[in-house]
Amino acid sequence: MSLKDRIAEFDAKRNRPPEIMATIRRGNEAVKASGAAGLQIGERAPDFALPNQRGEMVRLSDRLSKGPVVLNFYRGVW
Amino acid sequence: MIRSLGADLMAISPELPDNTLTMAEKHAIPIDILSDATSEAIKKYRLWFAVPAEVKALYLEKFGLNLEKYNGAGRWELPVPATYVLDTSGIVRAGQADPDYTVRMEPPEVVAALREIVGG
Repeated sequence: MSLKDRIAEFDAKRNRPPEIMATIRRGNEAVKASGAAGLQIGERAPDFALPNQRGEMVRLSDRLSKGPVVLNFYRGVW
Repeated sequence: MIRSLGADLMAISPELPDNTLTMAEKHAIPIDILSDATSEAIKKYRLWFAVPAEVKALYLEKFGLNLEKYNGAGRWELPVPATYVLDTSGIVRAGQADPDYTVRMEPPEVVAALREIVGG
């Protein structure tokens, strides 16, 4: 099963009222309109250094010197 | 699969460092979970947004979700959910960003992009 299908199944089970879904949709459209579109394919990813779950600083450029990196930006654990 | 292709996986959120896990649990997590507590990286990647007022009201009133509890005082802000596959030069070779959190890059697409990078 694709990730898309699994998310759709999860969403269907939550069975949220249409007015809540409408609010979320309007919110998503507003965010799109704000221009927060992320990086383009072919662009160089900006470097950063951030602490991991053990408080160790992780620098992207250090990791890239060892191999490719998959970055996932997520909203939170909630 | 991602690791067997020699790649590193990092997850980034605006949340403050987590205090709910024990150190043993933190060591058991095989990927880096990074805390962008100033949204610095999220902004550099042009993914930052302020949660729209009506969505904030929905989270607080209907979901009982106060983002400040996770992100810190005054931080009603989030990243657009996104995935990027970077080659060793840091160039984005594949990726996706969509405010609709149900639209995600499919794991096989990530693996395919990595295979192209490593020539595997």
